[in-house]
Amino acid sequence: MKTIRINAVVLLSFALLLHALVVQAKGDDFKSVVKLVENFYGVKHQGIPFLAKAGMKVATTAARIKGGTAKRIAEAGSVKIAIFEDQAFDGQFTRFRSTLNEALNQTWTPLIQTLSATDEEQTYIFVREAGDKFNVLVITIAQREGTIVQVTLSPKNLALLMKDPEGTGKSITQEATIVDQE
Amino acid sequence: MKLLFHKIRIPLIAGLLVVTAAFTVQAQNPRIQTISIEHLVAKASRTIDVNVDERLMKMAAKLLSDKDIEEKEIKQLVAGIKGIYVKSFEFEADGQYTTADVESIRSQVRGPSWSRMVNVTSKKDGGLEVYLSFQGELVNGLAVIATDDREFTVVNIVGPVDLDKLAKLEGQFGVPDLGIETTKAKPKNDK
Repeated sequence: MKTIRINAVVLLSFALLLHALVVQAKGDDFKSVVKLVENFYGVKHQGIPFLAKAGMKVATTAARIKGGTAKRIAEAGSVKIAIFEDQAFDGQFTRFRSTLNEALNQTWTPLIQTLSATDEEQTYIFVREAGDKFNVLVITIAQREGTIVQVTLSPKNLALLMKDPEGTGKSITQEATIVDQE
Repeated sequence: MKLLFHKIRIPLIAGLLVVTAAFTVQAQNPRIQTISIEHLVAKASRTIDVNVDERLMKMAAKLLSDKDIEEKEIKQLVAGIKGIYVKSFEFEADGQYTTADVESIRSQVRGPSWSRMVNVTSKKDGGLEVYLSFQGELVNGLAVIATDDREFTVVNIVGPVDLDKLAKLEGQFGVPDLGIETTKAKPKNDK
């Protein structure tokens, strides 16, 4: 009887742990994608404070979007961003694409993927449901720079994204990386 | 022996029915597989891969409002559609894709549920083939194969769709502008 009870407790704990890991994995996809890009290409992303300290351009994110006057796509305070500057992304389109799709397949739906061998540019847009809104993940990789942006969109802006995935995807990245010259 | 045959007869018939049903379902599935042309990514100067699948369609249908004009417009346009899939390659030189590449897609629309629309052409140069898939009398899918010397595009829409809807989808949802136009049969005395 005692053994059965212990087994039940162990099983329940295991189930809870598994659930926690799954939830964490879902919430942490952004960090996982940043890590994936770093590991695949052997590059390192720069945090916004690093760029600011270096006296470089300041990429404004959530705060700026919140106070902006222009029409914004992303919901206020919803932006996560990782920037890769002046680093070597050496192509390998097809392999990177497979790796990325495999990693995100469970929790995200791929919307559009564009690969340009001529310019060595890759853009990936993934979408997932987030309550009554949507999370959108935009990954842009060029020869020497890359950007990973995750934003939350209202259904209306999802409609815009679906209508023009390429254009709206670009707008999301541009919006998240509005550059101020200080 | 007779007893043995009697014993295996029922499972055998059941098995055959399952296999037949599986083949029928597969034959009626209007989803085009593009894995055979995936290798062109390495040759193409530009590749576009659009994947608006059923999950996304359901999300949109559930959350898009009927009150907002833009949301309503999208909702109506995609009503009933289960997926929009586009694979488009642009090349810097001629002859980068082969007849076999095109044939690997064409062979999928040769099944009994597919029929080619003969009265459809493109305002643009190059070849355009439009196929409709039927389940009974209802259209349940559409496939477009657009070829040019330096371009190869496959558009696949799963769900009830007609040429009007396809024309409305052009330039949206990642569906490229195919320049589709329907040619009507000319009267005999028309010069």
